[in-house]
Amino acid sequence: MFETLQQTAFVQDIIILAKPALFNLYFALASIPMGFPFAVLLAIGKASPNRLFSLVSRGYIYAFRGSPLFIQFFMCYSIMLALNQSVWKPLGINHIMLHPLFLGPFVLVLNTSAYAAEIFYGALKTVPKGEVEAAQAYGMSRWNVFRIVTWPNMLRLAWPAYTNEMVFLFHATTLVYFTLPVINEQKDLMNKASELFERDYNVFLHFSVAALYFLLISIFIFWLAGLMQKHLNRHITGEKVRLFFKPRYLR
Amino acid sequence: MLESVITQITQWLGEDAGASLAYITNGKHMAWYASVRYTLIAAVGGAVCAVLFGLTGAALKQSSFLPFKWIGDFYTTIVRGVPDVLFILFFPLAFEKTVEFVLARFTCSSESLAVATGWPPCDAAQWYLRTGDYLTMACVSLGIVYGAFAANVIHGAMQAVPKGQLEAASAYGFTPKQVFWRFRVRQMWIYALPGLSNVWMLLLKATSLLSLLQIADIVQWAGRLGSANYFPGVGLVHPDWRWKYYFVLFLFFILMTMLSERFFEMLQRRASRGMALVESN
Amino acid sequence: MKRLVLSAVLAVSMLAAPVMASDTIRLGTEGAYAPYNYFDDSGKIAGYEIDLGNAICKKAGLTCEWVVNEWDSIIPNLIAGNYDGIMAGMSITDERKKTINFSDEYYPVAPSLYAAAAGHKVDLSALKGKKIGVQGATVQAAFAEQHYAADNTILSFETFDQSVADLMAGNIDVLLADGDPLTSVVEGSKGALVFVGDGVAIGGGVAIGLRKKDVELAKKLNSALAALKSDGTVDKLIKKYFEKGPFYSK
Repeated sequence: MFETLQQTAFVQDIIILAKPALFNLYFALASIPMGFPFAVLLAIGKASPNRLFSLVSRGYIYAFRGSPLFIQFFMCYSIMLALNQSVWKPLGINHIMLHPLFLGPFVLVLNTSAYAAEIFYGALKTVPKGEVEAAQAYGMSRWNVFRIVTWPNMLRLAWPAYTNEMVFLFHATTLVYFTLPVINEQKDLMNKASELFERDYNVFLHFSVAALYFLLISIFIFWLAGLMQKHLNRHITGEKVRLFFKPRYLR
Repeated sequence: MLESVITQITQWLGEDAGASLAYITNGKHMAWYASVRYTLIAAVGGAVCAVLFGLTGAALKQSSFLPFKWIGDFYTTIVRGVPDVLFILFFPLAFEKTVEFVLARFTCSSESLAVATGWPPCDAAQWYLRTGDYLTMACVSLGIVYGAFAANVIHGAMQAVPKGQLEAASAYGFTPKQVFWRFRVRQMWIYALPGLSNVWMLLLKATSLLSLLQIADIVQWAGRLGSANYFPGVGLVHPDWRWKYYFVLFLFFILMTMLSERFFEMLQRRASRGMALVESN
Repeated sequence: MKRLVLSAVLAVSMLAAPVMASDTIRLGTEGAYAPYNYFDDSGKIAGYEIDLGNAICKKAGLTCEWVVNEWDSIIPNLIAGNYDGIMAGMSITDERKKTINFSDEYYPVAPSLYAAAAGHKVDLSALKGKKIGVQGATVQAAFAEQHYAADNTILSFETFDQSVADLMAGNIDVLLADGDPLTSVVEGSKGALVFVGDGVAIGGGVAIGLRKKDVELAKKLNSALAALKSDGTVDKLIKKYFEKGPFYSK
């Protein structure tokens, strides 16, 4: 009797938390396509021989990797708010700039691109020198060297760590509604789970279901990235590429 | 002392500078500066817990007894799949409830258990949480989360200890337990340090979440100080200054990161004394 | 192993045990709701409720201890037992009565008010497509949800201060909030903010929130509160912080 009740409560929670899970997914999916190119630019900037580019990229990466995302969220929201009357309103974009569905991904992009840039920078440094030199010897233009040699190598080398970063980013989406105002019923997993908890004080149920969603989606990201990994390494024979869920732990 | 400094400054630099200095040294600001202690305690306490959990986790992962190995792998995988925020919120709640459940088993009379409707079933089983308790639990939660990360680093580092040394040790007649503790664990620190430094940086940044556990930490006070005040009875009337305070915190954490980097560089140098094989990367 | 865990748990509980002395009561408050409760310049918790709570405790022969807790988890943490009573400008409502008990009121029903930026035209009788700000988990939030959610956007904030900041910055069109804190904000804004329309009466008076099972404590606090009401202490404090009254002394 008690068992079945618990079971239905569990199933109910899964149904209730499905929509909030979409908000976490949205924040991650909206940030990745923007964060990726920005991170590549920053990595190239950091590796650039130009002192100014290098300094700016280094400073940016250091600052955003060196401070907590939680603070970055608070800081960005209060700065955006302070600029509302003087900048966003005259431009007529105040409704967009301060909306959590925009500002959330915006801050996440600022944050994740710093982490990802460091990963790509590390990969750039380990691109085999011989391959680059060979391409130059063939008389390729600088752009072609980058496009044909450096870029695919960098991507292949950086991919496992970048996968890891995407999972971190997905987990970081929990902080959006701890810091930004909640609009109507737009709530994410943590938000909704806390709300359910405050209704009946059942600690174990609601947070476990939220954790389950995070776990499943994380595994899905690892799996999807594994497919990509296989694709990136398709030319490498002999070495077997592991497709499986094998999380890395460093950020 | 402070007052005389403020009068001095006022004389040298004028009213405004004196007033600003008086403002940023009032009790409310002092409380903000003092609240840094929570951040530091949580970071250090969390790091100690993380190393303990990390060693346990790594030992489990290392174990040749399969169920232990599974527990180790399960622990590190679950923690990696779930956000740290969730753990930090969930663990104290769950722990409190568990303690109260056990207390109720021992202290509540069976009559009170029978008629109880709320939680906990009787007053004696009530556990009052104070900042100290929350702080302890925050350390443990941070330890659990980052212990999983540390477990992986330590596990990897143990594998990196040259096999020959371990074989030599057992050839000298050390028991497997001695070989593990006196050779593998002693030697692995040098290989684990770069990874552990990375885990420490993550942990340090995660201490910004303390306010979620009702601890009046630097983030909480920054919000209180920065919020606009329109009521003269409360203190200085000022508009919304939050971004300035959050910017200070932003710089504070960057500074902490820099200091940590220096510290770990020093540790690495000390640890690698007498070791020929450590590469810089 | 099991025994080890058990003894560890017991050791923790031993540490916690002396805290539960019967003559100390712990009161939860928010510290961000002037003039009810706030942090003064010396960094101490202060305000109408702090003075009143201390007076009540003195009258009832108890020792008061203040615990600061964020608003959105203030009821759950009362029930979880982090403190024994809530004094945080909390209005009596039927919804809250389902989970907690209330003492007698210590501040009468005050209408909730609407504020907007000066010169910002808002027609309360036909709110449509507006951004309405409230503090989350308040009576005003529930009211806005019920009456305005269909045609407008509701933004809920963690604290009252945050909602005011967004109103000042023009991120919301109207702010619906408890009358007294809002009055101190509008008066202090030097004309930047104005009230719009008439207020609405939402919820009951302000009272101490208590756990349902603490019937004895409720009686104790109520009799102390009644004594303070009749000897004029409550009205004196209301006069000091709100410049209103008298409400309770004859």
